[in-house]
Amino acid sequence: MGSIQSEPNKDRRQFIKNVLKGTITGSLLLVIPAGADIEKIPEQIPGIRGKDWDMSKQNFAFIVDITVCIGCGSCVVADQREYRVPDGYYRTWVERYLKTFDDEIFVDSPDGGLEGYQTPRKDLGKPVRDTFFVPKLCNMCKDPSCVQVCPVGATFRSPDGFVLVDSKRCIGCAYCIQACPYSVRFLHPETRTAEKCTWCYHRVRKGLLPACVNVCPTGARKFGDLNDKNSEVYKILSGPGVLTVLKKDMGNYPSLYYKGLRREVI
Amino acid sequence: MKSTYYSHVLRIVLGLVVFAAVGGIGKYLLTPKSFGTHGHYRADAIEEEASLEIRQWTNASCMTCHQHEALIHLKGLHRTISCEFCHSAYADHVKDGKNVAAMPVKKDQEIRVLCLRCHNRAIQARPKQVIKTVVMPEHLESQKVKITHICNQCHNVHAPLKYINRAKEIVGIQEKT
Repeated sequence: MGSIQSEPNKDRRQFIKNVLKGTITGSLLLVIPAGADIEKIPEQIPGIRGKDWDMSKQNFAFIVDITVCIGCGSCVVADQREYRVPDGYYRTWVERYLKTFDDEIFVDSPDGGLEGYQTPRKDLGKPVRDTFFVPKLCNMCKDPSCVQVCPVGATFRSPDGFVLVDSKRCIGCAYCIQACPYSVRFLHPETRTAEKCTWCYHRVRKGLLPACVNVCPTGARKFGDLNDKNSEVYKILSGPGVLTVLKKDMGNYPSLYYKGLRREVI
Repeated sequence: MKSTYYSHVLRIVLGLVVFAAVGGIGKYLLTPKSFGTHGHYRADAIEEEASLEIRQWTNASCMTCHQHEALIHLKGLHRTISCEFCHSAYADHVKDGKNVAAMPVKKDQEIRVLCLRCHNRAIQARPKQVIKTVVMPEHLESQKVKITHICNQCHNVHAPLKYINRAKEIVGIQEKT
């Protein structure tokens, strides 16, 4: 009997101990510093930190390798989280191209690839010969049409080669959205200003890769400095391989290159 | 004969001067500071863009604290996957050096949805040399497990072949993947 009676007492004591432990560690977690400092985590683009940013001496390029893109949509998810992009709008998205045996092309992009591609497309009614994914983002043109049409100077190409939007100056006229040959711009539903992919300018300035490049599991997205002869981007661009830009005939001279791009992609 | 009345000319000149002055002052007041430093835009907008908050960090930043997971993750085939892809953004977890919220961990059926996002062979365009793919439920049948099994019952989510390679080692099958 004695042992049975002592059991509950022991449990109660244990319970109080556990509660105390829990509260103390819980409150300590809120006080003790956790996490890393952004300046201390390893640099992803070498040679940016610890010196002044020279606007005129930057030459960045982005390469999308569609031969290894598996359409997981990590990039879209990361982008959505980095900028808190409202639902239904995409700064970057992944398109799926399907080719039937009679060379008909079908393109779809459910939710921009945010939820990934879980099921094959079934509404075609004919066998699919080939499927591939094409991630899309801002092409960072060297001669951007969006900048040409902006009436208030709210969008511009900075001297370091990034096409950016000044949301304080933008009046939301949406000329740039119509002018962009790649349809990467949208009007933010809350701020009513134009928005688009910036190749994560704020991250690059701190030596980090753009969010989408950072999360890509297969290395389909590459970003780097062309002035650095050891960078992966320089090596790919100076080497052999099918490397091309989208809508070359528009004359916008994009800095975004596609590796292994196919004729069907527009 | 020359007219001696200049007041009308004076009025026009004065009007033009006032117009120019008002225009000049108006332009000065309405043009934002730093406009035109580099071109027809506000140069300060570049620095504003550069000072945006970084919400998605890197795997290295997660692994400064989570060393146990790092040891498993970095050895496995999933080492190129970002921690934040499955566990949500770093900025929601740590703020000003303090742990502010727990990160979500995917469970049960969510795991299968997550795995098949990449590993579903039914979606073509997933080259063999890039990723290993499976067909469900054939994969479960061929491995002789229950049809209700969830991927992480055999595969460690951080290092998918961890248990499988260990099991092979134990039973003495020498096969490296």
